[in-house]
Amino acid sequence: MTAQASRNTGAGMGPARRAAVSTAAVALVLGVWQLSGTLRWIDPLLLPPPSEIFQTTVEILADGYRQVSLWQHILVSVLRATVAFAAAIAAGIPLGLAMGLSQPVSAVLEPFVQFLRPLPKIALIPLTVVWFGIDEGSKFFLIFISCFLSVVVSAAAAAVGVNKNRLRAAQTLGANRYQLFTRVVLPNALPEIFTGVRLSIGIGWTSLIAAEMVAANSGLGWMVINAGTYLRTDVVMLGILLLGIIGYLFDLALVLLQRAFVPWAGRDA
Amino acid sequence: MTSHNLFKKLAAAAALIVTTLGAGVANIAHAEDVPQEVRFAWAGGPRVWILGKIDKSFDKSFGAPVKWIPFATGADVLSLFAAKEIDIARFGSSPAVAGISRKLPIEIISVPEVIATSERLIGRKSKNINSIKDIEGKTVAYPPNSTAQYALELAIKVNRLDKSKIRLVPLKPADQVAAWKRGDIDAAYVWGPFTQQFEADGGHEIFVTKQLQKDGYLVYNNFVVRKEFAEKYPQLVVKFLRTYQEKVDQYKKDPDGSAQLIAKHLDIPFETARSVLTGLEYPSSTEQLTPAYLGNGVTTPTSGIAKAAKDTANFLVEIGDLRKSDVPESFAPAINTSYLKQAVAK
Repeated sequence: MTAQASRNTGAGMGPARRAAVSTAAVALVLGVWQLSGTLRWIDPLLLPPPSEIFQTTVEILADGYRQVSLWQHILVSVLRATVAFAAAIAAGIPLGLAMGLSQPVSAVLEPFVQFLRPLPKIALIPLTVVWFGIDEGSKFFLIFISCFLSVVVSAAAAAVGVNKNRLRAAQTLGANRYQLFTRVVLPNALPEIFTGVRLSIGIGWTSLIAAEMVAANSGLGWMVINAGTYLRTDVVMLGILLLGIIGYLFDLALVLLQRAFVPWAGRDA
Repeated sequence: MTSHNLFKKLAAAAALIVTTLGAGVANIAHAEDVPQEVRFAWAGGPRVWILGKIDKSFDKSFGAPVKWIPFATGADVLSLFAAKEIDIARFGSSPAVAGISRKLPIEIISVPEVIATSERLIGRKSKNINSIKDIEGKTVAYPPNSTAQYALELAIKVNRLDKSKIRLVPLKPADQVAAWKRGDIDAAYVWGPFTQQFEADGGHEIFVTKQLQKDGYLVYNNFVVRKEFAEKYPQLVVKFLRTYQEKVDQYKKDPDGSAQLIAKHLDIPFETARSVLTGLEYPSSTEQLTPAYLGNGVTTPTSGIAKAAKDTANFLVEIGDLRKSDVPESFAPAINTSYLKQAVAK
């Protein structure tokens, strides 16, 4: 249905034309935004115009923010997130698949997962200091927990969603349990798992801010919060832009990985 | 003190305020509009103006209800001012300086409290932290963008400590308590009631903010108004300062009784309230108009507070929180003593 719909609405719009329209839309928004500052429609303190953010970027690239270079802030945040994402994926996918394939495992874990997953992770901040202290542990935990649970849920759903007829067909052809898993379950579940991971990483990246609210001295999330306390709205906007771009790059990397590992995604017969 | 006695005192205070207010209204021929409500930003701690919250003397003198809006750190106050959600705030010097530098339309109208011993550095006895020198090589927590952070950084500077050897951790006071219990931090620069919690749990005082005064650094809390509000209701601001001075007089007459009232109202231990209240110095309105504090308008550019504000701003530039180009040449234009002068004149 979606393929049909996009073909209909996208009629007469080639990739080049589409890119041009998108660029024009972004340019228009930037232009109005800049004008709002230049013509003083809005106090630049409340919404710093792009020119000021650009100037701030130049300054921070030269001197860093709070004695730490901008690259280091970016690196610290990306490292924190990457480690937590990797751990969440490595632990979450096997656990999710186990829940999807085995009724007893699912029965045991389901209540905990379903309770924790929708829980606003920011509510855990006061506990993280008490549990994990003020070092990297508490930051890792906050990103990990928000990412991990949605990985588990999507992996379990993907395993449950594998077409029963295919499983039966493979069984009739004499596949053993191992073959059934590697040849049927995994290839069928992987596209959905990838989608789940993409969504989970989006959630995990959001909780970076929450993680860096606790006893941090560097990182993009911390930069945004600290700059906010001094009303440095220009630095806040720069941080937001960087967080958005990096979040997009994470997603792009996953899309590329998905194309490489599961080229059959979306081509279900 | 029996409650009956207390009631009598309160009634007397209220009567006094009503009479002075009556006289005040008679003096002002051109009665100005009264806002629907006046919004105060308060930090929730034991302070003298809480006396006015208890007996509603601010509400009575304004003829309009006061809404007390709570905040956790000075940083929140800046956001609240930017959003025009508050009219008058009592908060620390360093966040106020940050706000003025960022061109927030606010004015300093009074310096009700000079921080003496109410904010202090607490060290862990078991780690042999017995003087400020001993924090080298240790982990020290501070509340970000606060007068305590400013005092800590100044203490490091004037005592010529090697900052690179100290691990400084920004933590809100409540998180500091958790980190202290886990043994993650060895010292904390903070205010009451948190200082007392640390002192009851193996900590002791190793430095107080007052010690910075001999090096020429004044750390204070200020009353700040939203400029737009003060221009619209100047007489209300005058009444505010007058009522506040009455509360200070009430406190000075009976410090323990006042501390008891405040402790009861905030539901905190009496000792905690008393220790915070006695840890602040209260320059009178008249004293504040001398060049040592705000000056009288003419002397304001060279006054103690104008200099202290500039010192604070330079320091915030040094640690990278403010941009050098944002800091004004002088803070005198952001100090408005006209309300205080009228309040004193009567």
